[in-house]
Amino acid sequence: MIGPLAVVFYRTFENGFDAAWAALSSPDTIHAFKLTLIITAIAVPANTVFGIACGLAIVRRKFRGKGIVNAFVDLPLALSPVVVGLSLYLLYGRDGWFGAWLSDHGIQVLFALPSMVIATIFVSLPFVAREVIPTLREIGDEQEQAARTLGASSWQTFRRITLPAIRWAVIYGVILTTARCLGEFGAVAVVSGHIQGETETATLRVEERYQSLDLAGAYAISIVLAVLAVLVLVAMTVIRPKEEAV
Amino acid sequence: MSIVVKGVSKRFNDFPALENVSLAVETGSLTALLGPSGSGKSTLLRVIAGLEQPDEGEVVIFGDDATGVAPQKRGVGFVFQHYAAFKHMTVFDNIAFGLTIRKRPKDEIKNRVSELLELVQLKPFAQRYPAQLSGGQRQRMALARALAVEPRVLLLDEPFGALDARVRSELREWLRRLHEEVHVTTVFVTHDQEEAMQVADRIAVMNKGVIEQVGGPRDLYENPESEFVMSFIGPVNRVGDTWVRPHDLELLSYPSDGADEAMIERIVHLGFEVRIELTRADGEKMWAQVTRDRCEELELEENQIVYLRPQHERVFSETFEPLTQ
Repeated sequence: MIGPLAVVFYRTFENGFDAAWAALSSPDTIHAFKLTLIITAIAVPANTVFGIACGLAIVRRKFRGKGIVNAFVDLPLALSPVVVGLSLYLLYGRDGWFGAWLSDHGIQVLFALPSMVIATIFVSLPFVAREVIPTLREIGDEQEQAARTLGASSWQTFRRITLPAIRWAVIYGVILTTARCLGEFGAVAVVSGHIQGETETATLRVEERYQSLDLAGAYAISIVLAVLAVLVLVAMTVIRPKEEAV
Repeated sequence: MSIVVKGVSKRFNDFPALENVSLAVETGSLTALLGPSGSGKSTLLRVIAGLEQPDEGEVVIFGDDATGVAPQKRGVGFVFQHYAAFKHMTVFDNIAFGLTIRKRPKDEIKNRVSELLELVQLKPFAQRYPAQLSGGQRQRMALARALAVEPRVLLLDEPFGALDARVRSELREWLRRLHEEVHVTTVFVTHDQEEAMQVADRIAVMNKGVIEQVGGPRDLYENPESEFVMSFIGPVNRVGDTWVRPHDLELLSYPSDGADEAMIERIVHLGFEVRIELTRADGEKMWAQVTRDRCEELELEENQIVYLRPQHERVFSETFEPLTQ
């Protein structure tokens, strides 16, 4: 882990600070980071809500096809992101199922933000649900039943009892989801169209700089992504001890 | 009547948990639902609370049909065997929960909670978390939490089941005294006949999803209507078709009419009470309960031949399979 990271660091500043700074401050790079953050900012809340709802449905409710839903939550982990991207391409492309209807109504999904957000949501789908499900099982539903007998509605029970009880699992899941969203490459690469300054995310930008033989630039962007990843890890280790204390 | 249950049935998959159960609970009473595990007593309590929906029948609470009503609208307080403490809240916030939900003014909440803390003797622990309390303290907190919203009925599901013997007997006493102070109609579930008899003023004995008999503790002990009630409430000896309590088995040192010969296998001294384990001439094993004085008077010894004269023998017309315990 540390070896390759150190090399990346070394290479970035090999040609001096200025080259790295120039690569980072170019409008296309800044746009790429902005895009990555926008996508993350949409995908993480969406998956947090989905993950909690999904966990509650799987653990607390009885319904037909529960096994299928449970297995489906894990699908994005098993499926290669490139395949995810390709299937979105097939759905939303010009000859796809929804493609024609959408373009008739002037909605651009493919090669634009919507498809990139959908692709990112899909690949980072399981993390919150997978953290929340075992915690929900562990706490059981007696506290929730007690809250009901004390007069709490479903929403009040969720807000005041369930959510605080699973909060660390949710936070942990959110952190993992964030890391996954920031680093997503495969699925987004297929659906984005690689338009510089428009649909290029930070990871795509690394690849583009690398292909253009701008190694210093590629390394500099990688460094920022690596630092973000480290921050995420630090956030996780800061949270962990608290979790044990409760 | 505070609670009236009419013809309630409930199945879990293929298992009939309750079969056409009817029960009336008097206002202000302290009633026990007593039975072995799987007898349906907890299910009945949960049906009254609205935590389970009956397949058939109805539940009436203070004259209102509560059958389809959600638990939060029934005005019942429920105490769980494993406390169901809100782990992320302090003792104070746990007890205040029902009042906070009802958006009562802060001052009122504070006064009511400190009143209840006093009642359950947890005043010094108000700012602790449930994890920092003992089992008995947690259960008292759960009780205060249920009482905070002034429920019309208080339901307790094996409230002392998870506690050790000493704490359990303390809490029994305490619950009895609390009931005398607060006087809220209370129903509690237990599998412990001693607990039921010590705490409750009425007991409903349940077996296999059916209420076998309802009555006062003494009434049930002295006039059991079925073999099940006879054998579940208090110790028994079964001799063929007749049943006799160990203390109703008189020991004589001389032969007498209607007295059977038996040999003393073992003598167990339990202080005031002495248990005499016997084998009758026909091979039937049984035991008799005598006082220490009576044991000394008869000069009982192991391997000695004595004569048994049963008092208050009982024969039940309906037979049932005895409990394997």
